Amino acid sequence: MLRFLVRRFLGAVVILFLLSIVTFLMFFGMPRDPALLMCGKTCNPQSLANIHHVLGLDKSVPEQYWIFLHNLVTGSDQFAQGPCPAPCFGYSYHTNEQVWGTLMDRLPTTVSLTLGGAVCFLIVGLGTGLLAAWRRGTLIDKAATAGAMVLSSMQIYFLGPLALAILVYQTHWFDKPAYNDFTADPFTWFTGLILPWVVLSTIFAAQYTRMARSSMIEQLQEEHVRTARAKGMSRQYVFFRYAWRGSLIPIVTIFGIDLGALLGGAIITEYTFSLPGLGQLAVQSVFFSDLPLLLGVMLFSASMILLFNIIVDACYAFIDPRVRLA
Amino acid sequence: MSRGRHVYGALSVLAAGALVLSGCSKGGSDSGGDNKKQQENAKRQQASIKFGDAADSTGPAPDVPGAKAGGTMEVLQRDSYAHLDPGQIYVSDEGSLATLLHRGLTGYKATSNDGAQHEVVGDLATDSGATTDGGKTWKYTLKDGIKFQDGSPITSKDVRHSLERLFAPFINQGPTYVQQWLADSPGTAYRKLLKDGPYKGKHLPTSILETPDDKTIVFHFKTAHPDLPYALAMAGYAVVSQKGDTKEKYDKTPVLTGPYKIQSFKSGKSMVLVKNTNWDPKTDPIRHQYVDQFNITFNQQYETSTKALLADSGADQTGLSFNNQVDAGNLSKVLKDPSMKSRTVSGYQPYVGQMNINMSHPALKDKTVREAIAYALPVTPFVRAYGGTDAMEVAGGLISPTVSGYDAAFDPWGKKKKPAGDPDKAKELLKKAGKLNMKLTFGYINTPEGQQYSTAMAAGLKKAGFNVQRQEIPAETYYDQVSKLDNNYDIFHTAWGADWPSASTVIPPLYDGRVIADGAQNYSQVNDPKVNSEIDRINQITDPVKSAAEWEKLDQYLVKDVVNVVPTGDYKQTQIAGSKVGGLVYDDVIGGIDPRRLYIK
Repeated sequence: MLRFLVRRFLGAVVILFLLSIVTFLMFFGMPRDPALLMCGKTCNPQSLANIHHVLGLDKSVPEQYWIFLHNLVTGSDQFAQGPCPAPCFGYSYHTNEQVWGTLMDRLPTTVSLTLGGAVCFLIVGLGTGLLAAWRRGTLIDKAATAGAMVLSSMQIYFLGPLALAILVYQTHWFDKPAYNDFTADPFTWFTGLILPWVVLSTIFAAQYTRMARSSMIEQLQEEHVRTARAKGMSRQYVFFRYAWRGSLIPIVTIFGIDLGALLGGAIITEYTFSLPGLGQLAVQSVFFSDLPLLLGVMLFSASMILLFNIIVDACYAFIDPRVRLA
Repeated sequence: MSRGRHVYGALSVLAAGALVLSGCSKGGSDSGGDNKKQQENAKRQQASIKFGDAADSTGPAPDVPGAKAGGTMEVLQRDSYAHLDPGQIYVSDEGSLATLLHRGLTGYKATSNDGAQHEVVGDLATDSGATTDGGKTWKYTLKDGIKFQDGSPITSKDVRHSLERLFAPFINQGPTYVQQWLADSPGTAYRKLLKDGPYKGKHLPTSILETPDDKTIVFHFKTAHPDLPYALAMAGYAVVSQKGDTKEKYDKTPVLTGPYKIQSFKSGKSMVLVKNTNWDPKTDPIRHQYVDQFNITFNQQYETSTKALLADSGADQTGLSFNNQVDAGNLSKVLKDPSMKSRTVSGYQPYVGQMNINMSHPALKDKTVREAIAYALPVTPFVRAYGGTDAMEVAGGLISPTVSGYDAAFDPWGKKKKPAGDPDKAKELLKKAGKLNMKLTFGYINTPEGQQYSTAMAAGLKKAGFNVQRQEIPAETYYDQVSKLDNNYDIFHTAWGADWPSASTVIPPLYDGRVIADGAQNYSQVNDPKVNSEIDRINQITDPVKSAAEWEKLDQYLVKDVVNVVPTGDYKQTQIAGSKVGGLVYDDVIGGIDPRRLYIK
């Protein structure tokens, strides 16, 4: 297990390293210049050069990359805005704030949105999927399958504004979505996030319903399940003891990837509900050609996906005793 | 991941819009000549602005009718504030906020309750400035009782420090007018005058900037700059505390002078403003302090803020946005709903759109050809692309209605009456010049609006007998491309906004033939001796009312006689507020809601 984890973590570091190089190269390959956005109306080559110098963009790309890596590992006190302890992504071009601080500031919003949403969509999605598989061929199954089909083909950018228009602005059933600190007031934290959770989990739950149902049906047709039934075990016992565990493997895989991706920033959901999370930050970094912020968000999001991939792989061993990690 | 790509796509277009410095609303109505609306618009035009004396500059500001004190106002903003250091403030969002936080030597006092009439008065100074030699020497005296938020008095040393730090390399995003005037050099060469700012013990010599006592500041310019009172009213020239100056860090922790101070600021999330108890209304002829607290929330897209304010429930009843416009989808609904009238304000942005005719191309040196373009060019597609007449108004000249001296009647090519163009007259002229079917390369920006209007404009020009070739230019590099001297575009569209309500920040940068250079803003590359000499002459006129009239004459000469550009549209915007917001006024100088007059009903 330890060897497995060490190997996977080393692999993840290599991937992040390569990703940072690709992001760097793509940034400098783009026809956009962050200095131009700051240069104002009466921009001229000299003032542009001054901004390049202040941002450090007048150095060669390899040199800039080396400084970035160096700062990331050892931190830096070379920034005019103040000290920057490791992991130092530097200061945002646009807001002049420390990137790592900004990431950590936005993380609670994204974690709240993701975990709350995940709890909802796992319970609803798996429950409905299993029920449909249990009652395969009945009206319940057909309704669940059809409903899941319709909902999973919806998009958050459609469902979100629709829910806002009806549930918030017309009927006033829900509070206007907002992120309030959990530690400051758990109640407003909860009420502010209900609608984003509902919308996010509606679409994901539909996908998990379909997945849980088909995975369960597949498992029920496995030979070991049939053998168990032939040996006289009850349907209920086989369903929950034998098939259920096997059907979880593909679901856990997808859930790990989904959770990682959502923790890296649920861009559309955050955008639709005006939640200041990592997804918003990602959009902002592209919008303002903000390289330090862009690198910070990219690497942080990628780390989340990689981390959850490793966790998922480790989970296999617990779900399926046949899997040996080495 | 495909969901992510949608957003990136949409935003890059938005970003391009920001670069072009243009309004970006879509949809809305598309009516042509609505007389009533035109009259309303005409009423909004900026009257000539005068420079106020000591009486005009004495506080407190006249009460807003019906205003009362107290309450909390919710402010929904799209973008977080990137800069709070006055030296770094240029854009409109931060400029609006600065009206509550910062004070400078001069400022704009609204002289009417509709936000259309203004005068420049002394803000921290006792008057708008005194010059005895036609604008070379300017003397300012500070008022008594003016303090920073920490209670320390504002002295001439702080004013000197505020100006000197603008030369330091870390100040790189604010305006540069006064620095260039002090150093008497164009471009960025002014930085050589005080390379490190005041931070390494060096200061501007007294032959340039004099502070003989704690109250007096004297500017000595080599050439006359009668516009100094306007320039000093920009947020970029607000006063900075010498004692509290933390250089780069000042951008997050400024020491404020206005009626409000920052209680908390979480970049990208929220900002809370509370009353600054060290602001004395008796010293301030411009601002009020009715509201107890402003709760500003960021990341509110135009659609979100519009829907929330339209719904008018809960905290949104006392809500508004300083800068968010009504989104394109809701614009006509808002403007047509009579119940929304008291909660809606509309006005002009300082930008004017213009089709540049590239004067460096031999075929376009023929004035008859340029006149043919002027007659043929349809403006309707441009207005329609930006959302109709609620978001864009047909322009006659190059001076915006928000700028002193604007003449609403000026319309030499009949665009206001015939926005679709006059292809017959254009064809006649083209025939006369013997250039029927001449090739015309039209460089257009590849934003959705650009795609839309360029197609229809090209069709209009073809009807008049031009062989139009459209060439797409990526939005990201559009202004780089069209400001290159050897570009191959015959015509291309640009927009420009004045920095203060005088055409001195419009005509010289855009049409002075001596500033033609790669990357400069004389896009049409016009070099007309009369224009050049008039610029020099008008720049010396110290009476702002007289100079405004002269600039307007020069504007008319350019449009009608030089024909290097064809004006297209004046950009407009509409904003709304909750039902309990009082003092809602669109201020033409701010280019949006005036935060200084707001109160809770």
